[in-house]
Amino acid sequence: MTAVDAPRTRVAPPRRGLVGTLASTDHKALGAGLFATAFAFFLAAGVLALLMRFELARPHLQLLTLHGYDELFTLHGSTMFYLFATPIALAAGVYLVPLQIGAARLRWARLALAAWWMTIGGGLTMWLGFLTEQGAADVGWYAYWPLSDMPSSPSVGTDYWIVGVLLAAAAAIALAACVLATIVTERAPGMTMLRLPVFCWTMVVSCLMVLTAFPALIVAMGLLLAQRQWGGVYSGSAGAFDYQHLFWFFGHPVVYVVFFPFLGAVAEAIATFSGRRWFGYKPFVVSLLLFAALSMSVWGHHMFTTSAVENRYFSLTSTALLVPAGVEYFDALATMWRGRIRLATPMLFALGFLVLFAIGGTTGIWVASPPLDYHVTDSYFVVAHFHYTLFGGSVMGLFTAIYLWWPKVTGTLLSERLGRWHFWLTMIGMNLTFFPLFFLGWDGMPRRVADYAPGTSWSTLNALSSAGSALLAASVLVFLWNVRRSWRRRAPAGPDPWGGQTLEWATDSPPPRENFTGALPAVRSFAPLQDLREAAEASA
Amino acid sequence: MTDTRHDYDALARLYLPIAAAVVLLVLLLVVAFAWRYRARPAQEGRPSRVSSAPRTEALYVLVLVAVAALLLWRTFTVEARTDRGVTGAGVQVDVTAAKWHWRFEYPRAGIVQRGTDEHPPTLVVPAGRPVDFSLRALDVIHAFWIPERRFKRDATPGYTSRFSLVFPRAGFWRDGGECSEFCGLRHAWMRFHVRVLPPDAFARWVRARRSGAAA
Repeated sequence: MTAVDAPRTRVAPPRRGLVGTLASTDHKALGAGLFATAFAFFLAAGVLALLMRFELARPHLQLLTLHGYDELFTLHGSTMFYLFATPIALAAGVYLVPLQIGAARLRWARLALAAWWMTIGGGLTMWLGFLTEQGAADVGWYAYWPLSDMPSSPSVGTDYWIVGVLLAAAAAIALAACVLATIVTERAPGMTMLRLPVFCWTMVVSCLMVLTAFPALIVAMGLLLAQRQWGGVYSGSAGAFDYQHLFWFFGHPVVYVVFFPFLGAVAEAIATFSGRRWFGYKPFVVSLLLFAALSMSVWGHHMFTTSAVENRYFSLTSTALLVPAGVEYFDALATMWRGRIRLATPMLFALGFLVLFAIGGTTGIWVASPPLDYHVTDSYFVVAHFHYTLFGGSVMGLFTAIYLWWPKVTGTLLSERLGRWHFWLTMIGMNLTFFPLFFLGWDGMPRRVADYAPGTSWSTLNALSSAGSALLAASVLVFLWNVRRSWRRRAPAGPDPWGGQTLEWATDSPPPRENFTGALPAVRSFAPLQDLREAAEASA
Repeated sequence: MTDTRHDYDALARLYLPIAAAVVLLVLLLVVAFAWRYRARPAQEGRPSRVSSAPRTEALYVLVLVAVAALLLWRTFTVEARTDRGVTGAGVQVDVTAAKWHWRFEYPRAGIVQRGTDEHPPTLVVPAGRPVDFSLRALDVIHAFWIPERRFKRDATPGYTSRFSLVFPRAGFWRDGGECSEFCGLRHAWMRFHVRVLPPDAFARWVRARRSGAAA
């Protein structure tokens, strides 16, 4: 067995205390800090969702005012996208990518540090709207013009919201640049692009999409702010359509930005817990790149009912996404085939991801058909669809990542028993919350309404959904309890508790400041530790 | 001119079984593999080392492309039939959306249907005959949605959207029309009723409304 020296890069010794935490350019401290920030926003936006579900449990208004409800769904969607899903996906990259490619550092770490601060600043700015006299932004997370202009939405909270989105979007671009630059320039000797771990490839496509899509958001929001302050930017129907084009040019790719890194985590978990390397690596990489390229050309499917786009073109590109998505499913199932499967918590969440995202994905193909979309767009059907992709996909994948890498990041183990409780409560709660929404939408319930007519099937379906959301809240509490328990017991995890396949499992848990102290294992494939294991089995 | 509900539901009957089959297949394979290949203590043999099957995967991609082609072909066929634009031969209804009301004007008959905050207006149309809509908004974007027709179209300020619908069955749909694009505070309550009358009854309604308007 040959080995190469660990990369020698001079790194500053860590500082302690709050200043040390907030000013560290160690990608691990930075990644963990950004991750924790984003997770806090996940909990906050989750509380907003619970308030909405409480209001909707029965017809009429009980808890909220009409305006309060508008603020809640605006901040729920915005927080989830701008402050939780995008930053947490990139945080996973900031933490894990250098470790997976055998690097000692993140490229341009001070830029990434500034991005963390901007995410915090953007989030606080957005949420400060709640403290203003007219409340927080109330225009929906996509803030369609002219509704978002001064005459309809004069609140200063909406201006705060725009500034918050601008900060968070700029932070995302900076983070994506850092992660991508790290992958391009910091790879260990022997690690060619086609030996990049699967998770790193998913980060590559996510970062490419951030770099191409997020500038459109900055333009849309910058112009919206200018329009609100001085006017003269958007006008007439052209202004309304232009805003939608700009927004969705960002707004569709972002859902894949917050999906792919978690697909990568799921792929790593399935390979690890099947005792097999990921199946069909090259077709998988090609399908990721194809998926990312196609995703830049599907935005008009959000505009099928506007009469302002060529529906058939966007229907074609959107439906074509089933091909790369199908390849990814094939590879996941083929990795399990003839494996030796251990149903540890990360694997449970990964399998849950496969099943739930299948529902989100197939209904996505459904809404890619304009005649079918006419009925269901802007209804609860679409709300159900995208929660199956974002909760069933991204959040299940996020918990896969958390359970998989928790031992690496903290050096301690989470409880498997509590993990199973967390998983099953999430599965039941998730389906109970979101499946009834398909029927509600098909039956004609529009989204973004605080009230609905009593005495119909809508009351029952909404009550079921609200009950499910309580279960989801309980599942998150179980998870937090598991975290607290792990924090107190500090059961040592060791460097490689799962039998990992990539380089991060070849160093201590948590990894030292310079990531790798000894020699790195030779990198001859995308799964170097699996190579060693198979070589050892062959010689035994 | 076609019946949108009939056509779109027929299309849904193609998509739904495929979607359901895919989801069930994934569920089945995940559960079957997790059981069949579960790790057992004192297990003989190793996990498979096969990690690619280019030919199988290429064939599978062809199947995926065929499915996508089938769905697109049916979608395009249906859309070409229903999005052919206005017939020009039907009853003309000009729809105006503004926060947070609908207004229906029948320009040839000189009738206007308005509502109040408490009582939404009623869209009255003849059964079985095309209705040519011309839809616009005065302030922000709204969307005209009649779930029973499975049809929705945005109303964008400064833009007039034209489309035709057929209502085959006579009847009354309370709150049968809704605004589905978020348009501000009273969005949830921006509704209208839909009344579909047999053609002779519709003609009588037009006459009565006209003389009522003249009086």
